[in-house]
Amino acid sequence: MSEKPDFRELVGDDLTPEEELELARVDSLLRSVAGPATEVPSSLTTRVEQIGTATPIWTRRRVLAAVALAATLAALFFAAGRWLDRGFDARASFDMTPGKTVPDASGKIELGRRDESTGNWKMRLVVDGLPHLAGNDYYVLWLARDGEYAGACGTFNVNGRTTVDLTASYDLSEYDAWVITRVGEDSPWLLSAET
Amino acid sequence: MPAAMATAESDSRLIERVGRGDREAFEQLYKRFARPVFGMALRQLGDNGRAEDAAQETFAAVWRSARTYKAERGTASAWLYAVARHAIIDRARQKRENAAEAPDEADTRAGPVEQAEESWLTWRVHSALELLPERERVVIELAYWSGLSQTEIASYLDVPLGTVKTRTRTGLARLAGLLEEVKG
Repeated sequence: MSEKPDFRELVGDDLTPEEELELARVDSLLRSVAGPATEVPSSLTTRVEQIGTATPIWTRRRVLAAVALAATLAALFFAAGRWLDRGFDARASFDMTPGKTVPDASGKIELGRRDESTGNWKMRLVVDGLPHLAGNDYYVLWLARDGEYAGACGTFNVNGRTTVDLTASYDLSEYDAWVITRVGEDSPWLLSAET
Repeated sequence: MPAAMATAESDSRLIERVGRGDREAFEQLYKRFARPVFGMALRQLGDNGRAEDAAQETFAAVWRSARTYKAERGTASAWLYAVARHAIIDRARQKRENAAEAPDEADTRAGPVEQAEESWLTWRVHSALELLPERERVVIELAYWSGLSQTEIASYLDVPLGTVKTRTRTGLARLAGLLEEVKG
């Protein structure tokens, strides 16, 4: 690089003191820094032009398509679930009798097929008229023998008419009743049915 | 100074528009800052290819993160400078990691603080130059960094000497406004 220019040659000598001071400051700055890049490579411009133009993975159209697909799948799963529900193959049904504390309650136990490989019975319990339990309280479905609780089949809570799927791995012939109680030793039998 | 403030607002608005995915604003921002960014990368990396990579990454980062820019936190120029420095430092770090063992030579460069100050000052000057009308910018760059006299510049540009002097003086005065906040 050649010599720096003469300040007076650049700005002339007809400046006011304020103007001269201001331009001298700029002159000093310009002398203190390296020169700018002579030019920007065209390849850089080409590369920068590509920024943001690549098709993003989640375009608006794709988002809408994904939402539609998700809705379709949800509907299919819902329909499949409903179809499988209908497919519950009740082999036996037991109507439950309400106890004194819940005279308007009703219940029914449907006994499905037994899985031979595991020995589990599929059961479906439909109850109505029991109050919803708050907090950590819940109902228990028992198998009873000689008036004593003998085997728990599962716990549940209700909200109006409620259907609960349960399994039991017991030999049902060894029991003589189904009983629903609230959790706790002092709970009366709320609903019961003979096996 | 009104000129400098107007420029800062203009840069801010451009970045805000970029943050909303405005391609046109992005192109304007590139035109305005391509030389300062590439120049800074070239000076600090000393290699055209790496400088180009760093400059590209700078503008990619601007495109990605412009929406995070908050005008109240600082000037647009300072934000862009920080983005560019980050990209350049990343490139420099990669260079160091890829390099073989460094030769045993005394490092005569300025310390980190001095380098940062010099880098910021250069950035401000170069960014301000980009805001000058082309005819004024050209005569100033030729005067300060090509070594040509005013007469030689007039000849080179094929314009009267008086025109060169007028453009130079007008350009310097305009730069004074743009660089008002830079302490000499």
